[in-house]
Amino acid sequence: MKDRISALMDGELDDKSAAAAIEALESDAEARDTWRTYHVISDALGKSRMLSEGFSERVGAALAKEPTVLAPRRRPAGEPRRWVALAAGVAAVSLVGWLGFAPQQIAVAPVAQAPTKSSPQEARPAVVPLPSGTNDYLLAHQGFSPRVSLQGMAPYVRTVSERGQEARR
Amino acid sequence: MQRVLGAALVLAATVAQAQSPETLGWLRKMYDATQSLSYSGTFVYQNDGRTETSRITRYVDPAGDIEKLEVMDGVPREIVRNRDTVRCYLPNSRVVKVDRRAERGFPALLPERIHALARHYDISLGETRRIAGFDCQAVVLQPKDNLRYGYRLYADVGSGMLMRADTVDTAGRNVEQFTFTQLSLGNVTREMVRPRHAVKDWRIENAEAAPARLAGWGLASELPGFHKVTELKRRLGESRAAGQMVYSDGLAAVSVFIEPLEGRREPVQRGLASMGAIHIYTREVANHIITVVGEAPAVSVQRIADAVEFRRPQQE
Repeated sequence: MKDRISALMDGELDDKSAAAAIEALESDAEARDTWRTYHVISDALGKSRMLSEGFSERVGAALAKEPTVLAPRRRPAGEPRRWVALAAGVAAVSLVGWLGFAPQQIAVAPVAQAPTKSSPQEARPAVVPLPSGTNDYLLAHQGFSPRVSLQGMAPYVRTVSERGQEARR
Repeated sequence: MQRVLGAALVLAATVAQAQSPETLGWLRKMYDATQSLSYSGTFVYQNDGRTETSRITRYVDPAGDIEKLEVMDGVPREIVRNRDTVRCYLPNSRVVKVDRRAERGFPALLPERIHALARHYDISLGETRRIAGFDCQAVVLQPKDNLRYGYRLYADVGSGMLMRADTVDTAGRNVEQFTFTQLSLGNVTREMVRPRHAVKDWRIENAEAAPARLAGWGLASELPGFHKVTELKRRLGESRAAGQMVYSDGLAAVSVFIEPLEGRREPVQRGLASMGAIHIYTREVANHIITVVGEAPAVSVQRIADAVEFRRPQQE
């Protein structure tokens, strides 16, 4: 198992073996330990960079966007690089999960913030032109925007920046 | 191992540093500057690849502050605001729109509410940068969900004036930007904020607004973090009667306008319209047109619109 995980990390497995290895990672705690250990070693050897700012948010967002990626079915052979990305995804999940054991505050793993009602499920509304009275609505709305307290009346420029709507009247 | 632990500590430190008193102090400083300073300057507003230059002048006076905004590009427009009235002058069509409030002042992001923003945003200090000759500190508000935009606010280190404001969507794109290209603090006279136009035979569109309960109207469920700020009856455009409910998370606001369908001249176009950070969603509920307007992501505006309901008051 260990050398398969190592090979997976290095992107050396073909689709089928990679799928099997990832399945093992999902179900086998020992395999996940190995996975983590290898990454820690790899980090210690300076093979990968430190987590950049917003890393976990980005991973969380990427995972939220691709919910199916953990269970790919059929895909044409010969794309081992994909698996590397996928493996990185698993690594991120493990890492985030693992960091959950670190001090309390870290437990705010962004993965949990994946949109509850994700946009794909939401009915896509018809896209329409701005209503004819848009400026009236904006003028009436803008005064209630708390932004005005930080920015003075600059946001009011939205109220009237609509192209030529008034000129038509 | 040490390295990962190090990363974890850095992460912990970042989380701890967010919402620090210093960070919130910057928001407070921007607020104070906006309330207390006289200034005049030029700023550029950008959205969807459109760019527009405007002049803004603020005059501070014990009797009430006055602010004037003049759009320099395209169709000439001028907006003057004092304590309870906003007048929008449209010289080409010779119309002045008057938005008057019965209640005192304008609802604001009050300093004591600034800390509450941390419930929906991770607030941290960003880069420092020079803008229009001022050394600025960025304050970054990263939303905790996809129901609101993120913001990057650049404040002048000396005065606290907000020199640049970026609105960022969940994909990290700038959907809107305000940037001062020139600003001078102080030296503003009363004369400088007077409207340029004599409006003798212009058409006046009066949009009076007063707090009122809109019996029967409400949201089936509120959007997380957005609470009702006010509810009023008002006039819109050429004196159409309308109800307005405003929801806010402390930084972004969404208005729900309710107008009777009866007597409407134009057909209603249901759906979503966008303009930079602003989204407008229109639908019909109980023989009324519901128009939801807000500087929030489309999903938020749509969810609020979809939640609007009318329940006959006596059945409650």
